[in-house]
Amino acid sequence: MIKLTIDGKNIEVQEGTTVLKAAEATGIYIPTLCSHPQLTPYGGCRLCMVEVEGAPTLQPSCTLPAVNGMVVKTNTEKVMKARKFVLTLIFSERNHFCMYCPVSDGDCELQNRAYDEDMTHWDLQPNWQPFNVDASHPYIILDNNRCILCRRCVRACDELVGNYTLGFEERGADSLLVADYNVPLGESSCISCGTCVQICPTGALIDRQSAYQGKETEVEHHIGVCVECPVGCQRDVLTRDNRLVRIEGDWDAPLNHGLLCEKGRFLPLEDDRDRILTPLIRKDGSLKATTWEEALKVAAESFNNEKGLAAITSTRLPAEDMALFKSIFGDNLKADLVTTLEEGKPTSSLAKMAEKLGKSFETSLESLKDTDAVLSLELDLVDDYQVAGFFIKRQLMNGTKLIVADSKDNKLAEATTMRFPLTSGEEADFLTQLLDAFENSSENPALIEIVNVLKESEKACIVYGEAFAANADETAITLLLNLAEKINARLIGVKGNANSMTAAQLELEAPINVEECQAAFILLGDEDPSQKLVKTLEEVPFVVAQTTYRSQLTGKADVVLPVAMWAEQSGTYLSLDGKMQKAIKSLDAPEGVLTSREVLQKIAKSLSIEPNMDWKASLMKRMPTVQIQEA
Amino acid sequence: MKSTRSMVLVSADPESMDRGALDVFTELQKQIIEFGLEEEIALSMVNDISKPGFVPLVLVYPDAVIYGPIKPGDVHQIVEEHLYKGRVVEEKQISPYNLSGRIAWLSARKGTLPAENRIVLKNVGVIDPEDISDYIIHDGYQALGTVLNDLTPEETIALIKKSGLRGRGGAGFPTGLKWQFVNTAKGEKKYVICNADESEPGTFKDRLVLEGDPHAIIEAMLISAYAVGADEGIVYIRGEYGLAISRIKIAIEQARNFGLLGKNIFDTAFNFDLHIHAGAGAYICGEETALIESIEGNRGEPRSRPPYPTTAGLWQKPTLVNNVETLANIPAIIRNGAEWFQSIGTDSSPGTKVFTILGNVNVTGLIEVPMGITLREVISIYAKGMKNGANFKLAQTGGSSGSIIPSSLQDIPMDFDSYKKAGVSLGSGALLIANDEVCVVDLVKVLLNFFRNESCGKCYPCRIATPRAYEILTNISEGIGTMHDLDILLTMSKHLVELSLCGLGQTAGSPLKDFLTHFRAEVEAHIKLKVCPAGVCPMSGRRTY
Repeated sequence: MIKLTIDGKNIEVQEGTTVLKAAEATGIYIPTLCSHPQLTPYGGCRLCMVEVEGAPTLQPSCTLPAVNGMVVKTNTEKVMKARKFVLTLIFSERNHFCMYCPVSDGDCELQNRAYDEDMTHWDLQPNWQPFNVDASHPYIILDNNRCILCRRCVRACDELVGNYTLGFEERGADSLLVADYNVPLGESSCISCGTCVQICPTGALIDRQSAYQGKETEVEHHIGVCVECPVGCQRDVLTRDNRLVRIEGDWDAPLNHGLLCEKGRFLPLEDDRDRILTPLIRKDGSLKATTWEEALKVAAESFNNEKGLAAITSTRLPAEDMALFKSIFGDNLKADLVTTLEEGKPTSSLAKMAEKLGKSFETSLESLKDTDAVLSLELDLVDDYQVAGFFIKRQLMNGTKLIVADSKDNKLAEATTMRFPLTSGEEADFLTQLLDAFENSSENPALIEIVNVLKESEKACIVYGEAFAANADETAITLLLNLAEKINARLIGVKGNANSMTAAQLELEAPINVEECQAAFILLGDEDPSQKLVKTLEEVPFVVAQTTYRSQLTGKADVVLPVAMWAEQSGTYLSLDGKMQKAIKSLDAPEGVLTSREVLQKIAKSLSIEPNMDWKASLMKRMPTVQIQEA
Repeated sequence: MKSTRSMVLVSADPESMDRGALDVFTELQKQIIEFGLEEEIALSMVNDISKPGFVPLVLVYPDAVIYGPIKPGDVHQIVEEHLYKGRVVEEKQISPYNLSGRIAWLSARKGTLPAENRIVLKNVGVIDPEDISDYIIHDGYQALGTVLNDLTPEETIALIKKSGLRGRGGAGFPTGLKWQFVNTAKGEKKYVICNADESEPGTFKDRLVLEGDPHAIIEAMLISAYAVGADEGIVYIRGEYGLAISRIKIAIEQARNFGLLGKNIFDTAFNFDLHIHAGAGAYICGEETALIESIEGNRGEPRSRPPYPTTAGLWQKPTLVNNVETLANIPAIIRNGAEWFQSIGTDSSPGTKVFTILGNVNVTGLIEVPMGITLREVISIYAKGMKNGANFKLAQTGGSSGSIIPSSLQDIPMDFDSYKKAGVSLGSGALLIANDEVCVVDLVKVLLNFFRNESCGKCYPCRIATPRAYEILTNISEGIGTMHDLDILLTMSKHLVELSLCGLGQTAGSPLKDFLTHFRAEVEAHIKLKVCPAGVCPMSGRRTY
């Protein structure tokens, strides 16, 4: 432990702690701009300068490691004058006329720092040189006029996301934030994760959606799990007057630490699908608005007759809803088919293996953060589950090795030289060859290289996707487990939808077969129906669709029950690595629209069913592929 | 290996080449063989020694006789009379003033400049830089042998520490102490780097060493690597120094062939190899941490310290970065001992300093003099006085990163501590000497223009204050400055020193302070009287931006 004094307070901190962190831990405020808790210290803005006894000049607290016996002063006149001088310089550099900026008045760190220091004016001639505004990106606007060159965006793009899109050209006062080799941001290698926008302290990087839509003081925050995929990122949904303003990553989230992807951050705001606001019943060939009572009555009648019934749910719904669905249609109505839209493809083979072994064999996504070698099987972490991909990509510069084996084109493979083409369905062959190459040297140089990398690694991870899980039989999974054991690797299945894990635990994994079914209940929620599903359902005479938006399915449905979308309901989600997390209601549903859970409860009531409400217990019945942890 | 009696150099700059230097060279070759002198006389072509007008030049060593302009037809006479019979051909001889600054010291060899004392430049121009044998004849690699066979790394460091050698890059940090830091730093892999990114305007001392005595640098790097425990070295050379790069390349190749680089050097367990990294022209890359970033392939920007390169430098490994001039002292110190080195120069700054003399003086060029010489001596003895008998107004030291020395400080001994006491700095060894036709506002404006262009942009004070100061100085030079501007400049100067991340920002503040300390009346004349006393500033009364 290191003992030092800051502003007369005696403080003890771990070795390696910076003076800034030590001060923050004690509640002493030091203003910063270029520093960010998620980034490595940079020492550019010189706003956090402090006086250190014995040092000839002021020292930047963000980069200065605390040393035993150090005496630091953070609020001397010298320090105050220096802070004001730095702010004066920044305001004179580019266009920082706050009244025209969407983030001023609370959301701008530069402006806030100036208020903190009671700045009323600046002493220097302002610079009038205009810079270009880049509005080529679908979500992001880059305004170099507001840029203070702190490089938080560049560092976030490099250190957190590993995408290396942003950079600086030229030097000194001519430095300019550019994408790639100075191409418009919209044409660059940007993957629209939006981390740069979230980390920008000023209005240099803003997102189109939320600019001028509401400031920090006017919005409400709703922190919960993202439901776009099963990675389980925590996000902060900002709303104002029952309207989505912006979605941000939660910097304090243990897994994603503020990171989100395009799907989690921007796409939900772009949703322009046609909302259904009242229950509908098909009369004379067309859907007509009706009351909840009538719609539920007609639906319940179709469920209750003795003819075949199919019940299919989305895996994007909360665990509570899915358990209720299973209780009503499986346990009580004993429908001929009770399954999910995914038919268990991403999970069932693995779940069966876990059952057979009687133990969980997959591990947490956290292991990707300090891995030294990754073997990616049939999985593109650039296109899907991006945040999990960031964990890998950002380590590649530090020597983490990446091996990609895929039967399709794989964008993650662009980041490595170790690529191994597979034939879909023959993953077991690859694993056999690989295991064999460990024992007896192979003649395939690519395979030898993979073996050498895996042999040398100490913290290897094997990640595999839906294509692997769907094709894998018991042999393939056994081979995978053998491989993992041989190199002491951790296994992570990155696949499925936000709540596929719940579906697996509820054993909702039957393949969809609606032959001879006279009625079908589709609990679609806010998901889009697939072409295949719509086609399949053409054979079914009577379809009840519980959905948020108009779609091809509602065109076919006989009864449509309008339900809330993701932001209008709370519920529990099981991430792919078994974390049980809550999604939080951020908006009120439109009048007349109920949540899926409310509708299911009404269906149960109209069928006089007493459903099992202990959803948690039903989740725990089956041996999971990865240990379930309640948050 | 052969030893030569005389060495003949033919100038090889573009103008000389145009005027038939190559023919002169071939003719010399022919004639030398004809007179049977090929065993006694070395012949080579050298770049950049002449002023236009008298080329091609032929220089004969060690007599230090210069002939020019020479046509192939004159060659016979020179070879016969001078080389064969030993009589100077006076009608073809010209004065040393026709040489460029680079070898203006030539006359020193005739004993006209008694105070000059060569350690760093001892071999420059004397030996053939492309021939390792010539270096070895001149005691080359003897120091390396001594160190590897007779001294432990610790003893080597102790010797350097005792000599009192201080870094010649500008900061004057004790070299032995730096070596010790790297030696005691934890880590298996260590690097030594020679900082040859000489980018200070008007400074070319390192270039001369690299071009004229490349093996001295290699030998010094070997010694330093042995002392700190490194097995890999990098010479970071300014990209524009084409000849220096090619000379170092040749020297490295020769040293490898002689077994002086590679594994088990001198049959000891010591391994060391060396490669070259050419800079891409950024001034900031002369700063040691920016230099390291540049080698790593990043933007050349300084790192925050601590950690210092001595503990976490190149690739986060302990790294020793020394300037060319510093290194060039090492073999001589090992050969002659710490006491010998201490006997030269002043107590706190032993040894010599190479200065580049520029400006309104009669003779410009490089000199190597003991530390502690005064500016007055430099101007009157080496620079032969001010041009046209003008008054000495000020000297700008260090290229850009030095101080403005007013005439009132010209008798301060030029060593690190005396200058520091006087509140000025020695810089890297350029002396820009100005007469009173130079306007101090204009001079500082030029300096700030340089700094604003070269600021890397990482730390805010340097990036923003240098252009703002330049704008204010432009205003003053246009006659539209205000007295308040001077307060702002002083504040800037203070904060630049206090807040900047690296030496660039810190020294960018010093001319702002110096010119207001020493020349305030002249600056105020620009503001209050709207007059430039030197008649340099435009004073148009218009804003230029």
